[in-house]
Amino acid sequence: MNEEYDVIVLGTGLTECILSGIMSVKGKKVLHMDRNSYYGAESASITPLEDLYKRFSMPGSPPESMGKGRDWNVDLIPKFLMANGQLVRMLLITQVTRYLDFKVIEGSFVYKKGSIYKVPSTETEALGSSLMGIFEKRRFRKLLVFIANFDENDPKTMEGVDPKQSTMRDVYKKFDLGQDVIDFTGHALALYRTDDYLDLPCLETINRIKLYSDSLARYGKSPYLYPLYGLGELPQGFARLSAIYGGTYMLNKPIEEIVVENGKVVGVKSEGEVARCKQLICDPSYVMDRVTKVGQVIRVICIMSHPIKNTSDANSCQIIIPQNQVNRQHDIYVCMISYAHNVAAQGKYVAIISTTVETNDPEKEIKPALELLEPVEQKFVSVSDQFGPVDLGVESQIFVSRTYDATTHFETTCDDIKDIYKRMTGTDFDFAEMERKKNDIFGDAAE
Amino acid sequence: MDSRYDIQRRGGGGGINVSGGSVGGSPALTGAQSRRRKIPPRPADYKLQIIIIGSRGVGKTSLMERFTDDTFCEACKSTVGVDFKIKTVELRGKKIRLQIWDTAGQERFNSITSAYYRSAKGIVLVYDITKQETFDDLPKWMKMIDKYASEDAELLVVGNKLDCETDRIITRQQGERFASRISGMRFCEASAKDNFNVDEMFLKLVDDILSKMPLEVPNKALSNSILSLQPEPEVPPELPPPRMRCC
Repeated sequence: MNEEYDVIVLGTGLTECILSGIMSVKGKKVLHMDRNSYYGAESASITPLEDLYKRFSMPGSPPESMGKGRDWNVDLIPKFLMANGQLVRMLLITQVTRYLDFKVIEGSFVYKKGSIYKVPSTETEALGSSLMGIFEKRRFRKLLVFIANFDENDPKTMEGVDPKQSTMRDVYKKFDLGQDVIDFTGHALALYRTDDYLDLPCLETINRIKLYSDSLARYGKSPYLYPLYGLGELPQGFARLSAIYGGTYMLNKPIEEIVVENGKVVGVKSEGEVARCKQLICDPSYVMDRVTKVGQVIRVICIMSHPIKNTSDANSCQIIIPQNQVNRQHDIYVCMISYAHNVAAQGKYVAIISTTVETNDPEKEIKPALELLEPVEQKFVSVSDQFGPVDLGVESQIFVSRTYDATTHFETTCDDIKDIYKRMTGTDFDFAEMERKKNDIFGDAAE
Repeated sequence: MDSRYDIQRRGGGGGINVSGGSVGGSPALTGAQSRRRKIPPRPADYKLQIIIIGSRGVGKTSLMERFTDDTFCEACKSTVGVDFKIKTVELRGKKIRLQIWDTAGQERFNSITSAYYRSAKGIVLVYDITKQETFDDLPKWMKMIDKYASEDAELLVVGNKLDCETDRIITRQQGERFASRISGMRFCEASAKDNFNVDEMFLKLVDDILSKMPLEVPNKALSNSILSLQPEPEVPPELPPPRMRCC
């Protein structure tokens, strides 16, 4: 402990582990600590099942029907990786993929008037889908072709649409699209959780739909990937990268104080010793005096012994409940994975419902989602506050991350990482920064 | 991709990795002959992951380096800069590519990730025969193994630093007794420094792993849906021996 570091990182959530990896690869001397006995913090996968029961203060231990406790790795926050998204890009560039195996999520479904419908992933599925009428499909197809060809650097592809001025509502009008298609496009493809985007410039929406299509094109079935053994494998992979490049890791470390002198961080005190640093990265839980509440998320982990109805027995899926189907402001998501992903005992399924809290009865808000999953053997409810930094670190050199939000993938997490990088270094983040600088695999080639 | 070279990675679920190996085709040639004739080498029949765990300073990296590079570095401290080392061996007529993982120094403060244990087919648990506390730590490592490692993993406990016989604190019987209490665990003593028993212990471990594996490559239909996103990194040829950060 009694040493000088370039960067100290507190909390081993995904955001912090990726930043730790980036800093170590850059040659910085990094000390990374966590008060917990496990990696991942709020983005951890809890194992064994007994620990999940304990965490949620369930009386007694899991029943025998739950199988072996050690077969379970239950995510605390439900998210999937977009196959062509920023996190996959980071994984590839850092080769943290060496430590992970993935499966494609089998399908995505959207809720409409009480039933769920498959989001088409092939031409055939699109033709057969009852999500929109046949003439709408033709117009919708034209929109998709337009978006696929759209290049913000080539006015010839824009067909008169100004990406920075035309709103998405204008674009929908241009293609003469009805409400069904608009809802579907905004919530099942662009993955917006509200309808605010309609009156904003269309560039962001176009890029989101491109991301969806490009991700879907990679592996078919769905645009989403999921790591075997749970999302908690992701922070561990990046932590390993950081350790290989000299990062020091300490779990089970109670943090007593962040030592500040003249408004600038100088070190961290733990168990009577002080480790000195030039910069500090941490998650909000270590600096509650430097963050502000930005929202609340409800997450309900549901264990079932059956796949979800009307998903063709998929062993993994996503369900989107658009806000206007259930009279809300924000969409509700369900992420479902199972024993096939090594996150549950044989024959068991884990579905996690999540959404932004809007009332003072959050459990009531998610009822429509819960109904889709019945019968549920066991559920675990958490209502968590979301925090964002008030102190951006300019003077203090303390760089606080944002709490994980209710979006269905990691794009906003990657945006936060890039933002913190810029606040720390003054330069824009470049993915190439993450590339391993030295060879760290040795030995003979296949003789 | 020739289906003969599909590789079973995991017991139980039967995941078959999508890997980008090279195409083989010629009969086995020696390394020198291969290079002269520029025929691509025969890819491995099996790829196995082995992890080495144990307290700081017991000689984990030394044992690995003795096995993979036949080198030993007295002054080298905590390992930095090694992800894993690859060694190809031939056993039971099969070509096996061993991936031996290093702890990356995370054992220093008891912070090895649970992910480290997952894919290991073989686990080498090391203690130092001249340091009591490294032997006392063994139950702690066993707890981690019980919690996170595959139930099919082969276990080997090694008392290292046999070259320091005069400073020995842990007797051979103590080590044997510890191993005998754990079903399926093998025991041996070795010296990375004097190169005693190192090859033998690794090869025996691999042999134990192979003896449990099915003879024929299993049914491909089992679950060929696991993606590794990137093919196995190939080690570039003619690599100079790694320089450890000796302080």
